[in-house]
Amino acid sequence: MLPEFFAFYSPTKVVYEPGIISDLKPELDIIGIKKYFVVSDHILNDIGLVQKLADGLAEAGCEMVGTFLDVKQDARLSDVNTCTKAVKASGAEGIISIGGGSVIDTAKAVNIIFSEGGDLVEDYSGGHLLTRPLKPHIVIPTTAGTGSEVTMVAVIYDEENKEKLVFADKFLQPNLAVLDPEVTLSLPPKLTASTGMDALTHSIEAYVGIEASPFSDAFAAGAIELIMKYLVAATEDGEDAEARGAMLIAAAMAGIAFTHSMVGCVHGMAHVTGALFRVPHGEANAVYLPYGMEYNFEEITEKLARLAPLMDEDVTGLAEEEAARKAIEAVRKLTGKLHDLGTLPVKLSEIGVPEDGLKDIAEAVPSDGTSFYNPREVDEEELLPYIQRAF
Amino acid sequence: MGLFESAEKFEEVLAGFFRQLGQNKQIADKLLKSKMIIRFKYTDPDLVIVVDCSGDEIDVRPHDTETKATVEMSMTSDVAHKFWFGKVNLTKALTRKEMIAKGPIPKILKLLPAIKPAYEMYPKYLEENGYSEYNIH
Repeated sequence: MLPEFFAFYSPTKVVYEPGIISDLKPELDIIGIKKYFVVSDHILNDIGLVQKLADGLAEAGCEMVGTFLDVKQDARLSDVNTCTKAVKASGAEGIISIGGGSVIDTAKAVNIIFSEGGDLVEDYSGGHLLTRPLKPHIVIPTTAGTGSEVTMVAVIYDEENKEKLVFADKFLQPNLAVLDPEVTLSLPPKLTASTGMDALTHSIEAYVGIEASPFSDAFAAGAIELIMKYLVAATEDGEDAEARGAMLIAAAMAGIAFTHSMVGCVHGMAHVTGALFRVPHGEANAVYLPYGMEYNFEEITEKLARLAPLMDEDVTGLAEEEAARKAIEAVRKLTGKLHDLGTLPVKLSEIGVPEDGLKDIAEAVPSDGTSFYNPREVDEEELLPYIQRAF
Repeated sequence: MGLFESAEKFEEVLAGFFRQLGQNKQIADKLLKSKMIIRFKYTDPDLVIVVDCSGDEIDVRPHDTETKATVEMSMTSDVAHKFWFGKVNLTKALTRKEMIAKGPIPKILKLLPAIKPAYEMYPKYLEENGYSEYNIH
């Protein structure tokens, strides 16, 4: 069935090649500016990635005119403000972010004020408030999970008011996403597994969500197939360049999918659990994903049945419902393997969520913004048994 | 020219509906819990209405352009009218800038499940209060 309406807009150019961060000249020539400010973090700087990028820029006749390396877990408003001052003072003409989701989101928010001036929170918090393209932003993701290198969203934590601010705008989609598997080789197994499960959750929720379209479906399905095939390999052997490359590509495809069709109650449960019990987002998604699929089962049976073969499940001769169950089984097999590798929890009880907190989670999820996009109405009473099973 | 012939008529209809929502315990309790102050900025005809959920009860204040709002929602009066019938695809409206949301989006989205019962109330409200010519249900 076709959706009543959809829009698809994905202007970010994506380039992929192992080692490409040292060979960016053709892309930089097209963008046409020379002075870049680099946003990253200290870990990536310490392992030499920022210097490698600076060398690549110099070889291409460009210059790294400044760096901001203080990005913390959860992109923070105070960092955005400090970084913006540094970018403005540096004489930069554009920004390169190299890092995970927090680094990329920080750079996206910085670019708003760098390009447009004004006050980030007062003038731009919200949806589609920008009126023209921002200054060039090149993204080099070093994790394969958030997909922020291609999405129109930046999430920034306002420490003072203790709230997450969302900036959603087509002009936040970066100009260029550089997918270089070599920059992900140092990602530890646990982070590889949890960020990979985040990408899988993006793609599955985008595929079954109420805003899905044939366009988002194509990207989501492609991502799911790659993740199911390569996530265990990338986790087992971080040096497996093919698996690393596949995961980077999959995370970006999942990003394109969910920036168009959103996510649902799995993310809702993960958001609430993260906020209440400080559980890392990717781990919470990994635990909840099969239970969220079960919660939505009646509404998404047909789509799950279509996914099962992409997840390497044999559905020959199976009725639609049985085939759909195979898709959930496939997710459980995957998380089971990652659990056996010691890289991923499969139950909430493993990650510090207390049993008496489950009701609090169920109570808060219907109010999470993602519930609006979930295929089945998110009801506290109906959701609670699924959260209990996830415990 | 929008569906409503004047800002006065639109204010009468919509502010009246907001006040009715404020009297509905099921909806009001959730809105009050949010503590949000929402400014609706309508065009064609032009009207500003503030729905203040920061106190003990919901206060509906047309023409309030001074209070600092948590969220500002801008749209035409026709889009607003259709919204309260549950006939606006929010993603479509935001993507096409038919509806502009300024402020914390997660808080806005959190309110949507709370106001869902309002979609059934709006056509009834129009019928029961002499505004049946605006009922597009």
